[in-house]
Amino acid sequence: MTNVNSSLDQLRVWRENNDRKSREIIEIWIRNLNSNVQKLGKEKPLVLEQVCIAALDCNELGIAQKCIQELYKDFPKSLRVKKFEAMFLEAQEKYEEAIEILDNIIKHDETHSGAKKRKIAILKAQGRNVEAIKELADYLKIFMADVEAWQELSELYITEQDFSKAAFCVEELILHNPHNHLLHQRYADIKYTQGGLENIEIARSYYCQAVKLNPNNMRALYGLYLATTAIATSQKCSSQKKKEALKLSEWVLDEIQSQYKDVEVSDMEERLGALQLN
Amino acid sequence: MPATLFHRFVLTIGFLSLFHVAYSAAQHRSYLRLNELDFTHLPLDVIIQAFISLFVIMYGVMNVAGDFKEIKASAELENRFWETFKNVPSFYTFSHRGRFLNPSYSSYKGDDE
Repeated sequence: MTNVNSSLDQLRVWRENNDRKSREIIEIWIRNLNSNVQKLGKEKPLVLEQVCIAALDCNELGIAQKCIQELYKDFPKSLRVKKFEAMFLEAQEKYEEAIEILDNIIKHDETHSGAKKRKIAILKAQGRNVEAIKELADYLKIFMADVEAWQELSELYITEQDFSKAAFCVEELILHNPHNHLLHQRYADIKYTQGGLENIEIARSYYCQAVKLNPNNMRALYGLYLATTAIATSQKCSSQKKKEALKLSEWVLDEIQSQYKDVEVSDMEERLGALQLN
Repeated sequence: MPATLFHRFVLTIGFLSLFHVAYSAAQHRSYLRLNELDFTHLPLDVIIQAFISLFVIMYGVMNVAGDFKEIKASAELENRFWETFKNVPSFYTFSHRGRFLNPSYSSYKGDDE
């Protein structure tokens, strides 16, 4: 029983942190939970869903099937469980049958956002990114507050290298969640990738904001260093601005060095120089 | 820190004591009315007991209510990383290498377009 409890705790932590960790989840399931399905208590449906997704990730179709059956036992008419059936087909690359099920769900309940998202995911799985983007944009016209969808759209735009639109999506995410340092960092990453003095200056401010929200965000510190040195070495910049940028980059370097004090890294500047955009 | 039995006990005692104070105050007023005296102030022991029970209740509540949260809005996000944040469960796709890592999966489908 203690085994079951500790496994449940571990799964809960992963669920809340959004860790994918499919292999580990399956291992826990086989070791501790498989024979104790009835003891899962209140969390049973959540755990079954989590394990089902993990099983599909690892192509453990037997386990996935069992999870879906268990869920059907508790919720015989649930559309949410039906969605997992579609995902089961998806994992076997039977996309058309999966879409059929999803269409059925949508016919039943036009506001079922989960099914609509799965349809977009299927397009993504088939490598039809452009169509996925179009579908997702249509989806977002209806479900404007869906943070996950905005994030996915920005990722899709990045794979298509449409950075300005990806940046717009992240702006939208920042509006939803202004205290999240990761989003500020992401926005700055995109702006820095776009290049050009103006964009890099924007990137610098957003990296600063990310560092302000979380002083330990190493990626933002590195990004800030790169952005400031890019400004300092740019030809179009006034000397006043260059001086400021240089000062900031020195500060960042100190910050990085103090954070890595225990790790012992030699010739930091040379290493960072290797990352420079030309 | 979960609420222990001791802290719950302290909280209960605090509330009982506070009710007792209220009752004593009411009694004092009725005593004054019966003796036709003017009300100036409550007796000192009632006031002291009221303050003591207030602090006892405060101590109990702080321990029973659970842990304090950081006042900074971003504090909870400080230990999150992009690697987990970028995972969007509702858009997971399964057309990745996962299945090839599974020993029981052998038949590679070569007829994909």
